[in-house]
Amino acid sequence: MTAPAVLMASFVVLGGLLTAAAQSLGLLPLAGSPSLTLGAYTAVAPDLPAAIGLSLAIASASTIAASVVGFTAALVMVQGRWCGRVVAAVSTLTIPFPHIVGAASVGLLLSDSGLLSRLTGAGEAWPRLVGGPWWIAVIADYSWKESAFVALVVTGALITRSTGYDETAALLGAGRIRRIRHVLVPLSLPALTVSATIVFVYTFGSYEVAWLLGRPYPEPLPVMALRVFGSASLTSRPEAAALAMVTTIVSFGAATAAFALLRRIPLWR
Amino acid sequence: MTFTLRARNMLTGAAAIAVAALALAGCAAPPAAQTDFTGWDQVTAAAQGQTVRLWMYGGDEQANSYVDNTLTPAAAKEGVTLQRVPVADTKDALNRVLTEVQAGTREGGVDLVWVNGDNFGTGKQAGAWWCGWTPMLPNMKLTAPSDPLLANDFGTPVEGCEAPWSKAQFSFAYNSATVTDPPKTLAGLLDWARTHPGRFTYPAPPDFTGSVFTRQVLYSVSGGYTNVPLGFDRASFDRLTPALFDTLTGLAPSLWREGKTYPKTSGELNALFAGGQVDFTMTYGPATLTKLVADGTYPAATKVLTLDEGTVGNASFLAIPSTSGHQAGAMVVANLALSPEQQAAKADPRVWGQFPVLDPAALSAPQRAMFDALPPSPVVPAYDVLSKSANPELSAAWVPELDEAWRRQILTGR
Repeated sequence: MTAPAVLMASFVVLGGLLTAAAQSLGLLPLAGSPSLTLGAYTAVAPDLPAAIGLSLAIASASTIAASVVGFTAALVMVQGRWCGRVVAAVSTLTIPFPHIVGAASVGLLLSDSGLLSRLTGAGEAWPRLVGGPWWIAVIADYSWKESAFVALVVTGALITRSTGYDETAALLGAGRIRRIRHVLVPLSLPALTVSATIVFVYTFGSYEVAWLLGRPYPEPLPVMALRVFGSASLTSRPEAAALAMVTTIVSFGAATAAFALLRRIPLWR
Repeated sequence: MTFTLRARNMLTGAAAIAVAALALAGCAAPPAAQTDFTGWDQVTAAAQGQTVRLWMYGGDEQANSYVDNTLTPAAAKEGVTLQRVPVADTKDALNRVLTEVQAGTREGGVDLVWVNGDNFGTGKQAGAWWCGWTPMLPNMKLTAPSDPLLANDFGTPVEGCEAPWSKAQFSFAYNSATVTDPPKTLAGLLDWARTHPGRFTYPAPPDFTGSVFTRQVLYSVSGGYTNVPLGFDRASFDRLTPALFDTLTGLAPSLWREGKTYPKTSGELNALFAGGQVDFTMTYGPATLTKLVADGTYPAATKVLTLDEGTVGNASFLAIPSTSGHQAGAMVVANLALSPEQQAAKADPRVWGQFPVLDPAALSAPQRAMFDALPPSPVVPAYDVLSKSANPELSAAWVPELDEAWRRQILTGR
């Protein structure tokens, strides 16, 4: 049943990966004859530590913030009171916004001469959120967009089975904190892990938000890859492909680690 | 049993990967398509009903509206459907063409590109452009063959691989309400920046505008453009650039945000200028200033800074990719864009205000009158004032070298 879907997906993914790998190894040069070489990787090596470090930091901070906010929102939604419905509506509204629209809005809101800076009359005292040294605007945009995604996934996992357990625990005299610790957290852990992994891999490989709201140096991996890809020298394409391969390898590493974690969660089995 | 199954699967996988890699490696670049037109009549006949996709930088509202509302209807009268494809950077269009060249496409998605400089030079090296077609355009006779801006594009010989479209002059604009003592030279401008900390910055190369700013500073610190060889060679680069990067490193602490970061694009610099955070902006298209002041985006007191030593000038062109299947239609559009009517419409500051590429001496009296009738701009001086002692562009090979060195020494050094 799933064969056609898997075939389509693997055609796209494997085709893209193979092309990038072949380009990064010098097998598809724009000029000259193909030859197998690691030159592109050694050329980008000096810039890699800073780029990987920055990308990991942005992705980790965004994932942690999105998971905490998303999980909290999910708990509110599962309660099913009117405020839960409001939170659910807001989360559902957030999802269809394209990231680039969100990023542009965050930019207009948080930049030095942006809306908040003007409303508060902060002027020169306004903190450097957009293009600043801590990438706050980038992380804020990812946290806001992705927390809605986490909230909806976790709510979906909780809503079907949490009520019975929750009521049982309440009847047995468990307080609110203990119910969260012993019922809601274990029940939502698999969904939370999966959605956090998706958020991490997505933010790690995403380009437009970091480009719009970030600064020119240091650069996250995807921003660097696209800059090098568009560079006017003919030798730069293999280097861009090498950066893309590094991004892919790190993302795969994150996904593998997440699956190792999932295997240890009793509910997942 | 399981072992053999797994081994067989692995073998199949390895074989598939090997086949795919071979297939990919087999896509060698084809020779550029040879289309033989014997005369212009044949071209116009072949162009009937063709759709021409013009890929161009989409960040200039006036450029977009000129193409959509003036050039496209005129092309429709010639029987060609013109479609504008906006890109964030001309490099995106070049990348698309290079990918098509790699794949051996004959009916590519790009028929015409607004291009110049290193993008043109890189594309020419890779065989991305169709060449030798511009002499066929009837309106090429209205340009001056001796014009250095049209014969070489950033040092790359044009050789009929692109048709001229507009001339441009790199210009600085400043807010005369806050800058009461406008500098007269580039060295003076840098001094002004030092004495007014935080009120000046420039976009980070490889942004087009930031990149030309660094070349302008290179001319200044080398004692004028005559001291910088236009062709690239490593020895000159190593001899001339230390002074440039020392100057820019010394300037950095006086820049916006102490030079710890830079605007990523000219658009970001323009936003800083519009928001009153800096007192200068710079642009390769000063024509747009008129409208930006008129609609209140820029301060009413915005003026163009004219420098004693002149600034860098260049021309921009329309090139036809070698992968295009609509060369006849693209030639008709390029010829139309060169017509006196279109050049005059484009030069109107209310429309786009781009400087024409035609030679006044080659025009008839009524054609010249069209240009003389254009209204002067309250902000931008006339082209002959702006382009006085225009500096030539360095060859395209300088551009990535300077951009990369700037990244290494200025951006990562702090």
